[in-house]
Amino acid sequence: MIEVRALTKTYGGQRAVNELSFTAPAGKVTGFLGPNGAGKTTTFRCLLGLVAPTSGAALIDGCAYRDLASPRHHVGAVLESTGFHPARTGRNHLRVIARAAGFDAPRIDPLLELVGLQSASDRRVGGYSLGMRQRLAIAAAMLGDPEVLVLDEPANGLDPEGVSWIRRLMRIWADEGRTVVVSSHLLAEVAQAVDRVVIIRDGTLVTEADIADLTADRVTVRVDRTDAMLDALQAAGADHELLADGAISIAARDTAEIGGIAARAGVTVTELSRRGTAETLEAMYLAVTEAGGQ
Amino acid sequence: MIHLVAAEGLKLRTTRLLLGMIPAAVAISLAGVAGTVLVHGGGDRAVLESAKGVRQVLSATGAGAILVLVVGIIISAGEYRYGTADDTFLTTPRRHQVLAAKLAVGSGLGLAVGVVTSLASIGIAAVLYSTEGATFPLDDAEVWLTLAGTLVYTALFAMLGVALGSLVRNQVLAVTGALAWFAVVEHALVNLAPDIGRWLPAAAGQAIIRTPLDGLLSPLAGTALLATYAVAIALSGIRVAATRDA
Repeated sequence: MIEVRALTKTYGGQRAVNELSFTAPAGKVTGFLGPNGAGKTTTFRCLLGLVAPTSGAALIDGCAYRDLASPRHHVGAVLESTGFHPARTGRNHLRVIARAAGFDAPRIDPLLELVGLQSASDRRVGGYSLGMRQRLAIAAAMLGDPEVLVLDEPANGLDPEGVSWIRRLMRIWADEGRTVVVSSHLLAEVAQAVDRVVIIRDGTLVTEADIADLTADRVTVRVDRTDAMLDALQAAGADHELLADGAISIAARDTAEIGGIAARAGVTVTELSRRGTAETLEAMYLAVTEAGGQ
Repeated sequence: MIHLVAAEGLKLRTTRLLLGMIPAAVAISLAGVAGTVLVHGGGDRAVLESAKGVRQVLSATGAGAILVLVVGIIISAGEYRYGTADDTFLTTPRRHQVLAAKLAVGSGLGLAVGVVTSLASIGIAAVLYSTEGATFPLDDAEVWLTLAGTLVYTALFAMLGVALGSLVRNQVLAVTGALAWFAVVEHALVNLAPDIGRWLPAAAGQAIIRTPLDGLLSPLAGTALLATYAVAIALSGIRVAATRDA
């Protein structure tokens, strides 16, 4: 499990991450979403001990990264900034990490096969494509068979087939009980694969929710007199929320029920629809990215 | 700790760095030795066979150490150049351990290069002495003391490079800075203030390899001084690595 508690990181007076708190439980794929520059990478670097937080903490199973007894056994990470020595072969890159981590019998060959690099393993990384480097980084993260996986924009540089491969991998890892956190600035890349979302903007938490909680289908209604409709919903005891675009989102399965409330309140319905999980998530994320773009 | 040293050794063996640098270091040393025999000796047998002559010739073996220093810098700063530092620190979050392993590998490499260049130097010196009509005094203690100095010198230069590269993470800056220091800056400082000259790193190095120059420290004092420089810079490097974000 990953716990981020009131994490703040300041760079030259600028708050890259601001009092951020969230958790990513074991057995779930947590999508860490936010527009570019929202603080996702900085949060990950704090979590992985590469950057010292200004205040707050980012813990892995209750421990700071540097206090983990065997970090590579515990956590596997794929970071955007990670580089490779161009003259080193893919296999030797993995051998170096295995040696430094003290793994006795590193399972390098099966890993190379898993990521589809077995035929390129003895070529220098300098000649690898972006996608091949990403696959090598994933193999490196898996070397210690870690319980926690942290992936920073892993889909970058991968073709559509590679992206769906990453999704399947994440699903398998989570189903094996591992903690998986994946960051992305594109919801569509991860939407189908995540069990939980943490959305941030400007280093601050916007939403943290399980997809299961979003699946309680919601009805969206647009009316001529929004205030009257909000009062009527309040009176009816319906769990509702006014969306940024002026529509009202209501936790309900039945459009007829909501139409009835509107009729009794004497407001005119201009739009009435049911939103599934995907749409709800998309609307939620769109509101965040649009606000961030302003 | 042993596996970290092994990993650093593996890193070094799995790039092409040594393939170019080690032969170049040996070549520079041998060229230095050969040049000194031919120029300094000038065909004068008595000069070549004198204790001072032997020291002069063999201390030229140290010339290759500057490339070993460059290798040392690349061992440290190269991790930032290619972005492999992330992976290194993910494996070993306690960064001083990484630097300690790099210092161990660097000094081992320096010793190995020192042994190779020393033996090659003796060989080439013996051959050139005989072509000059002189006899290379292999049984002279001067020979072996100077060569022992060369081993220490090369090892310390490698460590100095590793330490420097940990402090100055920009590899190009660190390499050009170090070359400028040893080629230009220190000479200029010595000319400006001869009294402090002997306390500077290059002069400490010359003392270790027993270069027959006036005003140098004793070989042991030179060793202690150069080691102190390396340790001081390494400690600053550790401080920087522990506090600066990677």
